[in-house]
Amino acid sequence: MPTLSPDEWQAVSPYLDQALALSEDERGAWLDALGEHSPMLARQLTELLDEHRVLVQAGFLEKGHFGLPSSAGLAGQTLGPYTLISPIGQGGMGSVWLAERNDGRFERKVAVKFIHIALMGKGGEARFKREGSILGRLAHPHIAELVDAGVSPTGQPYLVLEYVAGEHIDRYCDQQNLDVEARTRLFLDVLAAVAHAHSNLIVHRDLKPSNVLINKDGKVKLLDFGIAKLLEGEGEDGAATLLTVEGGRAMTPEYAAPEQVTGAPVTTATDVYALGVLLYLLLTGQHPAGIGLRSPADLVKAIVDTDPTRPSDVVATAGPNGEQTTANAARRTTTPDKLSRLLRGDLDTIMTKALKKNPQERYGSVTALADDLQRYLHHEPISARPDTLTYRATKFVRRNRAVVALAALTVFAILVGLMGTLLQARTARMQRDFAFQQLKRSQEHDELLNFLLSDAAPRKTFSVSDLLTRAAQVTEKHHSADALRRADLLMWIGENYSSEDQIAQGRVLVEKAYQESRALSDRSIRARASCALADCLSQDEDLVRAEALVQEGLRDLPDDPRYALDRVACLRIGSDVARQAGHAKEGVARMQAARRIVEQSPVATDLLKMSTALDLATAYADSGQNSEALTEFAQAGSLLSSLGWEETETSVHLFNNWALELDQIGRTLEAEQIERRALDLTSGGNSGEASTAMILNNYAKMLRKLNRLDEAADYAQRSYEKAQSEHNQLVTGQSLLERARVAISQQKFTQASELLSELEPQMRKHLPPAHYAFASLAADRARIALGEGDLALALQFADQSVALGEAALKRGGQGAFAFPGFLLNRSAIELASGSLAPAVADANRALDLVKANTQPHSPSSTLGYAYLGLARASDAQGQHGDARAAAGLAFENLQKCLGADHPDTLAARQLAGLAPVHP
Amino acid sequence: MCSAISSLMFAAERGDRPAAEALFAALYSELHRLAKRELARPGVPVSLSATTLLHEAYLDMAGRDGPSFPDQARFMGYAARVMRGLIIDHARERHAQKRGGLFELTSLDTDDVENAVDQGELARIGEVLDELGSVEPALAEVVDLKFFCGFSFGEIAAMRNVSERTVQRNWEKARIYLHRKISADLSL
Repeated sequence: MPTLSPDEWQAVSPYLDQALALSEDERGAWLDALGEHSPMLARQLTELLDEHRVLVQAGFLEKGHFGLPSSAGLAGQTLGPYTLISPIGQGGMGSVWLAERNDGRFERKVAVKFIHIALMGKGGEARFKREGSILGRLAHPHIAELVDAGVSPTGQPYLVLEYVAGEHIDRYCDQQNLDVEARTRLFLDVLAAVAHAHSNLIVHRDLKPSNVLINKDGKVKLLDFGIAKLLEGEGEDGAATLLTVEGGRAMTPEYAAPEQVTGAPVTTATDVYALGVLLYLLLTGQHPAGIGLRSPADLVKAIVDTDPTRPSDVVATAGPNGEQTTANAARRTTTPDKLSRLLRGDLDTIMTKALKKNPQERYGSVTALADDLQRYLHHEPISARPDTLTYRATKFVRRNRAVVALAALTVFAILVGLMGTLLQARTARMQRDFAFQQLKRSQEHDELLNFLLSDAAPRKTFSVSDLLTRAAQVTEKHHSADALRRADLLMWIGENYSSEDQIAQGRVLVEKAYQESRALSDRSIRARASCALADCLSQDEDLVRAEALVQEGLRDLPDDPRYALDRVACLRIGSDVARQAGHAKEGVARMQAARRIVEQSPVATDLLKMSTALDLATAYADSGQNSEALTEFAQAGSLLSSLGWEETETSVHLFNNWALELDQIGRTLEAEQIERRALDLTSGGNSGEASTAMILNNYAKMLRKLNRLDEAADYAQRSYEKAQSEHNQLVTGQSLLERARVAISQQKFTQASELLSELEPQMRKHLPPAHYAFASLAADRARIALGEGDLALALQFADQSVALGEAALKRGGQGAFAFPGFLLNRSAIELASGSLAPAVADANRALDLVKANTQPHSPSSTLGYAYLGLARASDAQGQHGDARAAAGLAFENLQKCLGADHPDTLAARQLAGLAPVHP
Repeated sequence: MCSAISSLMFAAERGDRPAAEALFAALYSELHRLAKRELARPGVPVSLSATTLLHEAYLDMAGRDGPSFPDQARFMGYAARVMRGLIIDHARERHAQKRGGLFELTSLDTDDVENAVDQGELARIGEVLDELGSVEPALAEVVDLKFFCGFSFGEIAAMRNVSERTVQRNWEKARIYLHRKISADLSL
């Protein structure tokens, strides 16, 4: 076979164009005619066309699409609580993945839809968001549900949709050999879904079998609102052209209505037409435009000009399609003749009316179409037929009264049920709309960050605070036009400053956002700004104004589900403010209220649930509700790992608070492990920032209790230095105290004494005189005096500490956790002074208090120490049996909470008369 | 470098051959860079198809180059040609060293490449396409856009402002041309 030279190709090329435009049949005659003038050309063309046939057969070059990196590589990745399993679809808009929830709370497969990166920032993103907001409006059993929506850590928006494993409706009907009536009933469910969309002013625009699935339970599920149109409130300009050009799939020609082809306005009647096509296909097995449509042009012509053949005629047609019509009828458990008779009359009329070229002549609504199909099924007169007396009479005779009455009842019942669902749907819808507004906000934040990180960032390394400074400048300059957006961004930047420990800088921005928000009417922004400022102020300890702002924020929010998430945000800050002001119960109450809202909200994300659990846990811990606190901490911890958020600042916060709670109830070993995680995350981790002074100090405290004194001294020292360099007075004080306590444990009494003297003036400055911290200070001084051998002074301080502690307890209940410690401390000193009876009495009192506050069967070092104190005092009194029993219990608790090698565990074991476990 | 792309493109369109070569080199490194950047991004949750990459490249360069940047259709024409080069080079390297190469292609797509056409055939298609490009450039471009870059007929039609039918006909003609040349090789 000679190959063609470039010149030969140039010569033959225009003829090839002509030939390819012809149908196979037409080509023969055309080639013959050509051959008469130029036999050489005709021969070349014949060869080329033969070759074309071969290559088409072989699918030459049909497999292409070289993807660059793998999409399969995404399998197993997590996105919030979802783990991606496998890709299930890829289109012009993006990709769809099968995913499942991985938090173990309930098993559910979902479809995660991503927008194509190429379309981000362009019209596609808007379309994607719109699909989300459209779906968010729709809650219907026959519409695939929007489960969740979010933005991935890389800024990729995604929708999480109900995953429907099912068949296309036409295939399903054929596989099940459904008869005309069953097909019609199934189709009515499709109509219900579309009618629901229409009642929400949404036109689907792409109704076709592949978008109407039947799931395993035989239920209809309508999918893919990717090109749906909102009938109002949406800028129409250019939307249609954008869809056609970018998606390349804005509609499926086979199901397109004439107005979609000609570019006339799209209305609900457009869906009525597509539904007509679908019904025609389901009932006849054929497309209304006829079989074997060769080209899109033919199809377009058929859609616009040609009236479809009457369904009853199509199914009866014998001839070249005889076999197919028989097969079609058989799939409907009937014969062509019977099928034709079934369709003739009402169904012919109904389909013809739905398929009218002129939208005005079609059914005015999907409901009207559904009503007629219902009437057909109930053998009532349909509306589409001229309402003649004979017609009604025939219907009346065939009608069964009982059935009609029952049907009427059912309709009534459905109506009543619907009212309920409609109300629910409305609430859910509002909340979802709201969630999308939030999504949009977070995208604006992401956009700003992206801008700062890419285009605007200088080519050097920069810290988070540099970035925030730039963000503030950019926002103030560029977004001054849109006050709402500006306030929102200022607030967001300000809040991020706060989490970077640059409270003062952040506060300036948030104050600005607050002032600007006063001029805005948007309640969400107003309340958020009030509460964000309250949050900043509470960190500055301006608790009075903070509380006023929280109340202002909560007042601004109407009691409306749309503001549920704003309310949660304010309640969380409000709880924090209340707790800092010493109102532990109010703190708990506010968080419980927030938790209730989150539980009821359909749009609460796992992230929100996690932070709510965390805050509630902290509130419980503050008010001494220990077991509730631990439950919530554990809950927050598991949500955090399911979110893949174990390496964030939030987890540092969680681990730290959780560890403190465990420490406070005496589970020191566990506390140390968890605090260690917080410490590891903050020291030299991804943030590059050094650990916070607070965490260093907390860790020092736990190490000290575990008798790892050298390490404890080191961490306490580091905490102190860090707190000083940050001018953090609170932690400076705390680390001074910790250093003193480590020194006491190391028996460096002079040093401990000096440290406490340095601390005391600061405490006097910042704390009310009756604060339990002064009881604690006295207790520490007592231990120093005891260590230095001044028993009288020690006893004096010990009495002081118990008295101060008792007074603090009587006033407000604070410091309850520390009080037994003061008693035990005094008991030890009394024992050393030989006052055995008071020593036993104090130890017993301490033990009773600790027991009352400890969960039964839960080990606690506090309980262990109470038993140990009692054991020592009893032993000195000569009550060796009691002493051994108490020491046994002390050993059990201390071993679990402090470790087997801890000196106090060893002491308890010895007193209990137990043999060493390991020599 | 990038701001040079639009001027290179104008020069190439005037028939400046060194400019055309420089344009190819510039686009090549740009697409390569983009692909690497996309791959380095942790957890990018969509597949990065050639189509995506080209869109990205366009947005990227147009963004930097400003309003004078050539329209998307013209850009895609050049870039698709370059993408073909990237893909063929990649297949070649993979062939040479089994793993690694220009991009880290992993299972799914690599299988696609290998199942679709073997690397020798792919390289041969590239050569014949170059030849076709000098005879009838529009046909070669359709193959680049469709076969190598995965654009649909509709997208190509919209890009070049012609009917989908024309694109489809060009595609069939190009296939005939390529098939003829390649099967002629094989029968030798």
